[in-house]
Amino acid sequence: MIEEGLKNELQKQGVYVTSLQELYNWGRANSVWPLTFGLACCAIEMMAASMARFDLARFGAEVFRPSPRQADLMIVAGTVTKKMAPLVVRLYNQMPEPKYVIAMGACAISGGPFKQGYNVLKGVDRYLPVDVAIPGCPPRPEALLHAIMTLQEKILNQKLTGPDRPRHLNADVAGEFPVPAYGKHDLEPPNNPEVWQPPAIQR
Amino acid sequence: METPEQIKSRLEAALPSAKIEIIANECPAGERSLLVDAPSAFAAAQFLRDDEQLRLDYCSNVTGVDWPDKELTEKVKVKQVVEGVEKEVEEVKKTVRPGFLEVVYHLYSMARKHGPVVLRCRTENRTDRTQLPSLTPLWRGAEFQEREVFDLYGVVFTGHPDLRRILMWDEFEGFPMRRDYVAPDDFEYEPTPHDEVLAEAKKHYPAEAKAEAKPEVKA
Amino acid sequence: MVLVLLAVAAVGFAVAPLAAAWAWAKFFSPQKPGKDKNAIYECGLESKGDAWIHFRSEYYLYGIIFLVFDVETIFLLPFAVAFTGLPPGAFVAMIVFLLLLVEGLVWAWRKGVLNWK
Repeated sequence: MIEEGLKNELQKQGVYVTSLQELYNWGRANSVWPLTFGLACCAIEMMAASMARFDLARFGAEVFRPSPRQADLMIVAGTVTKKMAPLVVRLYNQMPEPKYVIAMGACAISGGPFKQGYNVLKGVDRYLPVDVAIPGCPPRPEALLHAIMTLQEKILNQKLTGPDRPRHLNADVAGEFPVPAYGKHDLEPPNNPEVWQPPAIQR
Repeated sequence: METPEQIKSRLEAALPSAKIEIIANECPAGERSLLVDAPSAFAAAQFLRDDEQLRLDYCSNVTGVDWPDKELTEKVKVKQVVEGVEKEVEEVKKTVRPGFLEVVYHLYSMARKHGPVVLRCRTENRTDRTQLPSLTPLWRGAEFQEREVFDLYGVVFTGHPDLRRILMWDEFEGFPMRRDYVAPDDFEYEPTPHDEVLAEAKKHYPAEAKAEAKPEVKA
Repeated sequence: MVLVLLAVAAVGFAVAPLAAAWAWAKFFSPQKPGKDKNAIYECGLESKGDAWIHFRSEYYLYGIIFLVFDVETIFLLPFAVAFTGLPPGAFVAMIVFLLLLVEGLVWAWRKGVLNWK
């Protein structure tokens, strides 16, 4: 391991030093391939973000893969209905590690305007570990670009070893998340307690 | 296009057994509709589709409406003897109109370029006798919309080729668009509740509501 | 000798990244197979049956007859572009070619291949 100060000093002299961890994270952060997957109007903004004007390709994330086998990132763009939620979780399970989730828009974060409805999930974070949440209804493509940059920052700061290494490098953490079943009025279970707990009010 | 009265009289001439009623509409559009009794609904719809003058060949919309039991109050003047003097006293008479489910079809004509003719059908009650004839054999486009009405209101369309739930999952119980449908209580903390959500929040977090009700003291 | 060295270098250049990726996956990222993850991909629905299914033999006949139209289109386009400047011989040759293809289609039609069973 090389010290930060020495590294900066060497950089000034024109000598660039890197570590395996940095190289690995640099490669992963600049080739995040999202899954071609849209649920509602947010997906239109996602398409706009990948086109010439906003150009998601600048961040290496323009390769939308039609199969979860080749995707790294799931952009949950739109309203997740209770009928669709098991399918979303199963798609996430079918993605190879390492994988990330961006919850795009008010509906994906919390259910949005449909939160009190009978068929809308109150946020995709009930079943999936969301890395970045974008507010907005729908968020502008710039907001999605910002989310991708935030995710890249997150990937760049991940550690290869140690107790706080990411999930995909930890053999003890399960790779799959339980797929909810259809119940009589709601999904069963209504949330995955490992990922999400009801908010507690602090007084 | 013919007025609803004209259509009604021609329908009654063609189908003597049909009971047809014109439902008034008080909104500015004033679109009146034809209420047809369930047994003759299919024949009436077929008449509307095949009639040379009407040719209503396009069913643009199928809607479900839930009418729960309604208490009607009526003021009746009754003569009573009060303290030896005969007087007219107003009495409030209450009657309960039993609830029913209603299906509304909006029909247009592509051939004659007119419309809409609004056709209504009512079930006998909201619990066990909710059958209505399906108009899918006449207008194929009604298939999914009738399935949706079945899914959300529970109207059973007899003669429908494929009557299954369409929006909710198959295991779902109940009909969520009915007015008396009670969703499972899964209320969650809201930072800024209002209206109905505020009432729910007060029910779930009474202490929080009390704290908010107190006037804030600022130094 | 130089050629052999170059060949080894070329193969090494191609294989080294693959080997590095394989070694990386072997030593750093633990494998986490699972029931859902290994299931056949079916748009997130629960998969039923096998991905390796039989195609009916009629399907291949359709594929071959599709070729008739395909080839026709490829040759018809330049034919149409150069139509006004063509000598009579070339025109006749093209018509003969088209008739041959149409004959194949008519033969298949008469045989009843176009009826989906």
